[in-house]
Amino acid sequence: MNLLEIKNLHAAIGDTKILHGIDLTINRGEVHAIMGPNGSGKSTLSYVLSGRDGYEVTEGEILLDGESVLEMEADERARAGMFLAFQYPVELPGVTGMSFLRAAVNARRREAGEDEVDQLEFVKLVRAAAADLGVDNEMLKRAVNVGFSGGEKKRYEILQMALLKPSLAVLDETDSGLDVDALKIVSDGVNAQRGDDCGMLVITHYQRLLSHIVPDFVHILAGGRIIKSGDKSLALEVEENGYAGLVNAA
Amino acid sequence: MPHKLSEIISWPEQREKAKSYFDSYGWPDNRNEAWKYTSLAHLQEAEFTATSSSVPSKTSPADLEGLSVQISGNMLQLPPKDAIPAGISITDITTDDGARAAAFTYLADNHLLPALSAMHQTSAIAIDIEKTDSASPLPAVIISLTGSSKDGACYPFVVVRVHKGAEARIAELHSSDAGLSCPLMVYEVADDAKLHHIRLQTEASHTTHLGLNQMQMGKNSQINSFAISMGGALSRLETHSLFHGTDAELAQSAIYLGRDRQHHDITSFVAHEMRDCASRQLIRGVLDDKARGVFQGKVRVAPDAQKTDGQQMSRALLLSRDAEADAKPELEIFADDVVCSHGATVGELDENLMFYLKSRGIAEDDARNMLIDAFLVDTLDEIEDPDFAAFMTSQINRWSLARR
Repeated sequence: MNLLEIKNLHAAIGDTKILHGIDLTINRGEVHAIMGPNGSGKSTLSYVLSGRDGYEVTEGEILLDGESVLEMEADERARAGMFLAFQYPVELPGVTGMSFLRAAVNARRREAGEDEVDQLEFVKLVRAAAADLGVDNEMLKRAVNVGFSGGEKKRYEILQMALLKPSLAVLDETDSGLDVDALKIVSDGVNAQRGDDCGMLVITHYQRLLSHIVPDFVHILAGGRIIKSGDKSLALEVEENGYAGLVNAA
Repeated sequence: MPHKLSEIISWPEQREKAKSYFDSYGWPDNRNEAWKYTSLAHLQEAEFTATSSSVPSKTSPADLEGLSVQISGNMLQLPPKDAIPAGISITDITTDDGARAAAFTYLADNHLLPALSAMHQTSAIAIDIEKTDSASPLPAVIISLTGSSKDGACYPFVVVRVHKGAEARIAELHSSDAGLSCPLMVYEVADDAKLHHIRLQTEASHTTHLGLNQMQMGKNSQINSFAISMGGALSRLETHSLFHGTDAELAQSAIYLGRDRQHHDITSFVAHEMRDCASRQLIRGVLDDKARGVFQGKVRVAPDAQKTDGQQMSRALLLSRDAEADAKPELEIFADDVVCSHGATVGELDENLMFYLKSRGIAEDDARNMLIDAFLVDTLDEIEDPDFAAFMTSQINRWSLARR
């Protein structure tokens, strides 16, 4: 069964129509990249998939493991295996990292009929995953994302992904605001989670992320439609020639 | 607003002044600017017996260790003399007019709350904390204020004098179930002295609470104060803080928690009279159901109070469409070399934060509760004393759990 199936997806924010009929299928083990110019609907697609309030699906269907997610709230979708790495992770003053991570992991575990994770066990789990991503103990003690640099916030997103082990990970402009070193750490973190259990949708404006997280498929989104699909060479073509030629040809 | 008197007025005179003030103005309603958001019109027809007396409960409050002082109406229960360590003295000054008059020196003239206290106060104590040579810190003094009659009113008066160089820890626990509760607390913090202070108001759901905390700060003194108001039908806490010396620091924060039809008012006045002083205030409120919250905060910086650092921020979180919050921050700055800021926001839970939590699989209700707790707990870092911080945190948690 396909992991994710998007069929003729139309979506709007209020009266503004943003997506005009998207078709996309992702299988487990595949990494798909969505590239597109500003305003093409990339972030809207990520929010529509993850179930953000205010984003209305006016036509079409989204199936996760064959089940429609359209009637599901954002938290239900997450517990069903969807994960969104935010372009701009929000700060949560007063919410400590450990309690937040534990609440998220336990919510997912309860859904799967598993026992909640024991507190000591959890600390070990988090520290191990955090070390791989260069997230130190000091960061884990602080309130979520409060006072983090742009790079730290992105690493923290990938840490959450590593702990939640989603079946579908949507990475929204994960490269924005990262310097070369941070980009490498984050990409390594993402690559470590590639595998047969997980499908990924990597949303990006630039090709540079895709030389670290090499996609199996590349789709060009413009004007709320996928105007071209191909393999990783399509990303290089965009890098070379820009979006204008592709958009005009479509 | 507070006004420095040149000399002590005798107690009988003080009382006469209070009576004539009250005879002229009576209970304020919202035509009075200072009571614009909190009318006391309901007290105009109310009749309370002057004091309610009952035997104070012998139990000291759980979770908080220290010397227990109990005031219930006109009944006092002080710790036995041999239980009080050197450096602390606790004195009944109910009949000591000289001591009472002296403690009123800097209280505001022409102001309802000191006037009520002067007219009616039937129990008064003085707590003196002095610097000791001992290496171990002095115990906290836990003042429990109760009163148990729906038709009764209590007017307890406490003056705490933290003498030069001393460090004091004082907790006020207001749990009266009288109809009207009017505690007046005066804190005189001398030069180089430090006061750790918490104030918890958990009074009965029929109680009108009108409290005044007066803080007077000497040179190079520090106050670290935190108040939580969660009880009462209508509750107003006024804090008046006066800097009498340079280089003093005031950290004074408060939380109010309202549900049902509760009305919470925090009214604060900080008077920077002297240079090189700092004040920092965080005020947060959570209002559910049809509760109403009011924050009035005035910071006045006198012409000579150069290099003042005055920070004030109030935020109210509305959990229901029928809840309401009003904020009136005021800065009056007459000095030119100061750093002052204030801000007030009223809002609902941030949709962006809710989505972030939900996108991690955390259910709507759990996400809401996490954010409400975080909004409150975030301010508790302001409390320096670890025992006080733990106690206030447990109170917040109790309220949160009861709300769910």
